[in-house]
Amino acid sequence: MKLRHARSSRLLAVASLATAAALALSACSSSTEAAEEGEPAAATSVTITDNHGEVEVPVNPETVVALDNHVYQTLSDWDVELAAAPKGLMGTLWPEYRENDDVFDVGTHREPDLEQIVAAQPDLIIGGGRFGGSYDDIKAQNPQAVVIELAPRDGEDLVEELKRMSTALGEIFDHADEAQALNDDLDAAIAGAKEAYNGEDTVMGLITSGGKIAYAAPNDGRSVGPVFPALGLVPAIEQTAEDESHGDEISVEAIAQSNPDWLLVLDRDASFAPENRDASAVPADELIAGSEALQNVTAVQNGQIVYLDANFYLREDIQLYTELFTQLKDALSAS
Amino acid sequence: MSLVKDATGQSGQGTPVRKSGRSPVLPTASRVATDAAEATEVSPAPRAKVWPLALATLVVVGLLATSLFVGAYDVTNGELGAEMMWITRVPRTVALLLAGAAMAASGVVMQMLTQNRFVDATTSGTTEWASLGLLLTAIFAPAIGLAGRMAVSSAFAFVGAMTFMVILRRVVIRTTLVVPLIGIMLGAVVSAVTTFLAVQTNLLQMLGTWFMGSFTSVVRGRYEVLWVVAIVTLLVFLLADRITVAGLGKEVATSVGMRYETILIAGTALVAVAAGVTTVVVGFLPFLGLVVPNAVAMIRGDNVRSNLPWVCLGGVALVTVCDLIGRTVRAPFEVPVSMVLGLVGCVVFIAILMRSRYRG
Repeated sequence: MKLRHARSSRLLAVASLATAAALALSACSSSTEAAEEGEPAAATSVTITDNHGEVEVPVNPETVVALDNHVYQTLSDWDVELAAAPKGLMGTLWPEYRENDDVFDVGTHREPDLEQIVAAQPDLIIGGGRFGGSYDDIKAQNPQAVVIELAPRDGEDLVEELKRMSTALGEIFDHADEAQALNDDLDAAIAGAKEAYNGEDTVMGLITSGGKIAYAAPNDGRSVGPVFPALGLVPAIEQTAEDESHGDEISVEAIAQSNPDWLLVLDRDASFAPENRDASAVPADELIAGSEALQNVTAVQNGQIVYLDANFYLREDIQLYTELFTQLKDALSAS
Repeated sequence: MSLVKDATGQSGQGTPVRKSGRSPVLPTASRVATDAAEATEVSPAPRAKVWPLALATLVVVGLLATSLFVGAYDVTNGELGAEMMWITRVPRTVALLLAGAAMAASGVVMQMLTQNRFVDATTSGTTEWASLGLLLTAIFAPAIGLAGRMAVSSAFAFVGAMTFMVILRRVVIRTTLVVPLIGIMLGAVVSAVTTFLAVQTNLLQMLGTWFMGSFTSVVRGRYEVLWVVAIVTLLVFLLADRITVAGLGKEVATSVGMRYETILIAGTALVAVAAGVTTVVVGFLPFLGLVVPNAVAMIRGDNVRSNLPWVCLGGVALVTVCDLIGRTVRAPFEVPVSMVLGLVGCVVFIAILMRSRYRG
């Protein structure tokens, strides 16, 4: 496998050199040819604003590399093919990318294999998310490609960020209507959940991993935090996060003392291979609903615990947030 | 805390300084032997002074009682509070007691067996081996349960500790600092393997959460296996005299008719079980086995048997104080005990290092 990849990437490198040369030679002529063929008036490129400013992006780029976990579901729904992606961060999702040998594996953000991106010779690279730290490297290594980052920015309203993202993707991949539908669905789900919330119940966000419970702060806590401002939820404990992505260590005592009416739980370990998961990585359900110390908490007594989708940690995309808000609306109106 | 302060504060008095030509930089390696010999000879002396030990016990009991009444939940709040006491506070306090005593006691054993002041489970690579074992159970036998996990973890810790001992024997230059350096290097190699495996299996974050030494998740039903280390501590007490003799080196031990190898293996096994079990239940407790025995030895000399109660008390006191700090400093959230312990331990450890340099 490794060997095959190495060889194929070397071949590709040679091929890329040849293509580059050929392109350089035929650059002027090909553009005029295209115009002469009388293509319909569809724009060949579109200017979008990404996290770094205005970028001109080709519409429906031929070769796309995506590194941001927020976009896979959208691209998958729109049948966009990928030339390279971080397969290690896809859990058991998107088999068309993960199990496709034509898609180069960029590894994970902890151990990125950025050469695979170069080998894929992309026209467009959607970076950001977990790969945000590699932006400069990627840009330098792929001068021929347009590199954009659309991932939600820190400190911005997540809902707006998600919508901005799908709008941009819609323009690039010529699926503006579908993008609009995604945004409308999200707005509708939020409006529904807002209406179902009584405005008084206290809510606490939790992240579980490796048998331990962590507190996800309102606003900036991983996955769960943005739900608070979107719905105007009352937090059971008002405190800013020290560790935004992994949560702050909290004891069952503190949860019991603050006695939240609702719990929003992200099971971080659930994303990775649930079938052979570690036994001590107690499923969140057992860790919270099964906890002796939490039996008198309103949320546990009334079964008012909302567990996020098992793959939420891997995706965090607009589709899952829409689902989450719908899930919340149903739970809130059922109580 | 008070014990530790005493230990570092009372520089100048304490054990008599003795000169030895064997180690040029720090005299500790040889002093373990000589001090131990002297302490064994005059062992009746400390017996006359029982009250300091009683006082120290009282302080530790006070700390443990404080631990029972400090926390996010209002335990004075009627029946629910009383129930919470038994669900979280008592288990947590018991865990502090067991882990503190066992890790400190196994530090003494390690230091005696290697004849080196700077060795404990964390500086000999033993905890790293324990965590490798733990990760392997997570990958290959996820359904093995807590007890099986601990058995595997302890077995790996034993292999690690023995590897360290074997390598130590082959090393010719054994100055004081080379010995823990070898241990730290071994540990680094093993933890590199562990990290690699964890990255490959997407378990890296879980691994981090796991080994972050913390008593936060210690509740009824999730800590009971920690009682195993009570047996370890007890056995260390029973073997104390032999371990002291083993600390004089192979030649001396053999010449007084002791089965050196047996004690070596038994001692290593005890350390391995203590390290394995605490790693699985609580996580890494850095410096505990290093700082406490050193502080005690500095004040009282090196008789393992008469020092052991002090070492255990010191270990419990240190870990309890650190946990109390961790519990209160960001209440209602908690700071992992390993973080506080690392900070406090670092300062004390440097103080000890500086002091032995002056004395040398």
